[in-house]
Amino acid sequence: MAQKQFDFDITRIDHFLYDMRGCIKCKGCMWVDHIYMPGIRFSTRCPSATRYFFDSFGAYGKMRIGLAYIEKRLPPSDTLRHIFYVCTLCGACDVGCKRNLDLEIGLSLEALRVKLVRDGVGPMPAHQKKADEIFLCHNVFGYPHKKRGAWIPQKISPTKGAKTLYFAGCYGSYIHTEVSRATVKILEASGTPFQMMDDEWCCGNLLFSVGMIEEAKRQAERNLSIVRESGATTLLTSCAECYRMWKVDYPKILHLSTSELGFEVKHLTEFVHEAISEGRIKFSIPFEGKLAYHDSCSLSRLSEPWISWSGERQQWGILQPPLSRRRGTCGVYQSPREILNLIPGIHWAELHRKKENGFCCGAGRGTEDAFPDFAMWAAEQRLEEVVAIGAEGIISACPRCKSNFLRAVKKNQQELQVFDISEIILASIGGVKKERSGDRRH
Amino acid sequence: MIPKEAIKEFESIVGNEYFTVDPVICEGYRGGPGGYECGLGYEKMMVRIPKGIILPRQTSEVRAIVSVCYQYDIPYVPYSTGFYGAKSHPHVENALLIDLKRMNGFEIDERHLLAVVEPGIIYSQLQEEALRRGMYVSVGGGGGQVSVIANMINDGTSPHSYRFGLAQRRILGTEMVLPDGDLLRLGSLAIQEDPFWGEGPGPDLRGLLRGGTGWRGSFGIVTKMAIKLMPFQPEALRPEGVSPQTSLRLPQNRVKWVNIRMPDHMSLKKAVYEIGKAEIGAAVMKVPLFWRAVARAKSKEEFWEIWSKESEERIQSFHLLRVLLIAYGSEDQMKYEERVLTDIVTELGGQAQRTKQTDESWFKNADSAGMWLMCGGYISVDYISETLDHAVSQGERMADLKRNFTPPLMPDYGERGWFQSLEMGHQGYSEYLIYWDPEENTERVDQFYLESAKENIRRRFYTALLGPNQPLYLTGPAYGRDYHQWLLAIKNEFDPKWLCHPPFPLAHDQFIDEAEWMKTLKDWKEPGLKERKVFPSVKSQTD
Repeated sequence: MAQKQFDFDITRIDHFLYDMRGCIKCKGCMWVDHIYMPGIRFSTRCPSATRYFFDSFGAYGKMRIGLAYIEKRLPPSDTLRHIFYVCTLCGACDVGCKRNLDLEIGLSLEALRVKLVRDGVGPMPAHQKKADEIFLCHNVFGYPHKKRGAWIPQKISPTKGAKTLYFAGCYGSYIHTEVSRATVKILEASGTPFQMMDDEWCCGNLLFSVGMIEEAKRQAERNLSIVRESGATTLLTSCAECYRMWKVDYPKILHLSTSELGFEVKHLTEFVHEAISEGRIKFSIPFEGKLAYHDSCSLSRLSEPWISWSGERQQWGILQPPLSRRRGTCGVYQSPREILNLIPGIHWAELHRKKENGFCCGAGRGTEDAFPDFAMWAAEQRLEEVVAIGAEGIISACPRCKSNFLRAVKKNQQELQVFDISEIILASIGGVKKERSGDRRH
Repeated sequence: MIPKEAIKEFESIVGNEYFTVDPVICEGYRGGPGGYECGLGYEKMMVRIPKGIILPRQTSEVRAIVSVCYQYDIPYVPYSTGFYGAKSHPHVENALLIDLKRMNGFEIDERHLLAVVEPGIIYSQLQEEALRRGMYVSVGGGGGQVSVIANMINDGTSPHSYRFGLAQRRILGTEMVLPDGDLLRLGSLAIQEDPFWGEGPGPDLRGLLRGGTGWRGSFGIVTKMAIKLMPFQPEALRPEGVSPQTSLRLPQNRVKWVNIRMPDHMSLKKAVYEIGKAEIGAAVMKVPLFWRAVARAKSKEEFWEIWSKESEERIQSFHLLRVLLIAYGSEDQMKYEERVLTDIVTELGGQAQRTKQTDESWFKNADSAGMWLMCGGYISVDYISETLDHAVSQGERMADLKRNFTPPLMPDYGERGWFQSLEMGHQGYSEYLIYWDPEENTERVDQFYLESAKENIRRRFYTALLGPNQPLYLTGPAYGRDYHQWLLAIKNEFDPKWLCHPPFPLAHDQFIDEAEWMKTLKDWKEPGLKERKVFPSVKSQTD
């Protein structure tokens, strides 16, 4: 039956019924790609299905529950809300499904959250509290807005009108300021002038991720207009979640393609990788350590550009015009790895679950805010994997991941070191050695 | 409803965290709308949402759960991954679904080449553990994602069955909770804890598990199984690529796929025979052109672009033989087998094609999930393990029958299905797959399914699915004349209340009785519902 003129607008849950009905319970969304299956241990990539056992917490269960809710066969309930929010929206299910079936599972989950909010069922109370803090203080912590820029080192001054605009994000501005400081020092070391927003606000990741689409849209429009007016041609982030918001979700919310933003969105790792190839950055100081690299979901499988599409679904489910699917294939996997390969002294290793098969740290997309125990559990699972491969610590490319791993390390009194990749880059270019935190704090 | 007293007992067995009657959680265990045999009339009419879900961790808990079910007349269904679509989900109201995924015990014995698994272990996990130790296992057509136990008792066939033998021959020991809670141990597990071969002191009750294929969990719950592993060659199969283009890079000196274009169907069949006689190869099959289009396409849209250019003429002239060579003993074995293979196919007019030296399908994956990509609906209507001639001619007959049902079936230009050689050519295997658009009316697909059974009876094709996936009163009298009576007598003996996955083994009979669009096709005799023994759990639905 042809589905006339539709698009992947996540405010239209009816546009995702085909995808939801198409789930066949192969559970490719939960298991690591079987080609890469590491054995009995570390065999899954969906945190919620792994933690809560019941099928209802995997995408296969959520698709069925979602359909029943949409068709009014299931009334809203605490359990229903819990199932849709105790999920990291990490994209594992989406790329797993698209290994074989090309169903839009990730978008369906986002659309279901939008529907829950519009129906007055979502978000979780903790999310609403965070949202209120964003509205009031423009950051997810409710910290004073006037202190947002306090992290900027005195010796470094942003340059008005520079082609690169650095967006530090809430975590980089308040919690893991070492990441933002490292980033601007790397920019300086590479000879790259940069500007910052005069009045930086939260990117809106939490609002978007929990389904508060109207609020997220306002945030997107505001931020986008500032960058467009700034003259910058590159928007740089060191936070993976900010990166995904700017590159993928702003265009998605605003019915654009990433290529229509008017500027390029880059993560620090992409910037550094390019700078190395152009000879603007060189690593000279050894960084000793036996560390594992963790793919932050928003930098890896969730980061492919958004391509706006509309058309129709014909017999056999054929899309016309054909759609270029976002399958996680072209996520930012290589840049951080190539950077680490060039750092002298470091012994870094892959985790069993890597790249598109990565296991989320558990923090992102509103999860830690409403379900800190679940987020902690997910981080512990990941750190178990770090220990299993014999590494002494973990590197991520997102302060959000770093924050959650540190919580788990502290709780379990582990000797593991936790780094953001920006710290390692800075140390190896001879930035500020004393800033090598290898954090076990918090 | 599940009685309150029973709920308390279930909670005391597994703890509150692993038992629920919450309707939201139960909805997550709905069989359809997508999945194997889903979206068809059978799923729409027969499948029910469970009333409770329980997740035991060990066999003693399974026994206790089943005993409570027997005490309170609660129908139940064992469930490992749920991939077997409609038939792995409850068919009656108020059923308990026993989700076995927490039972993920695993032991591997390198010295004696065997593994002992619980129902939560899937093939790709087992395969990786085996490969790491220089062994390998046959990943059944169900795919890397299916429970090893569920697949072994339901089918377990793969191209590797050419070298390995059929799945039922590789079951060394089984621990099974009978429908009333008794524990049955089969094979060498009947003697001791150390499984080493398939035989026990007898009597041998392995028929409870399966014949050609299994009974969809309606004769008890297998909680542990010892499986034979096979020695592999020493070099690693290296995973490469990023999803969805992931594959295992083959060490060509030791493992190699060879595609050979044969001039016609007869020469292809002859080549399969001769390869078996020469006792070379690790897998030997005829590949449908359709699958090549699937492998080449990067999306549904691309598949249809490729496939819509095909024609009946091209399908009828496409005869691709695919052979897997494994040099188990030495690299010289590879050279020897390649020479023998070349001699055989050259003599028959075959020509080797350029072949990609990766494996996407048969070592760790078996991309069964990809079968839904093209149309959204898929099922293997039938598979057959008999002589090669028998298997091949069944595929031809099914192709003829299918023409009458296309559409709604996907146009496949008279494709004769997939056949392969089993047990070094001593058996032939044919599998006939159909595809349809679940968004369309599927009544004719249901009718084709039944007509395929009738065609098998008319032509005397012995097929694996004649029992569990077709009406018992149609197939029973036609094959063995009274096997259905025996089956029902055994069911009554072991499960007198019919609580273990009712109404199997009469599920398909009930479907035909109740689906209006199937009634005109019913031309066989059976006891009416009143005469047929109808048990309480079934009756609540049929009345």
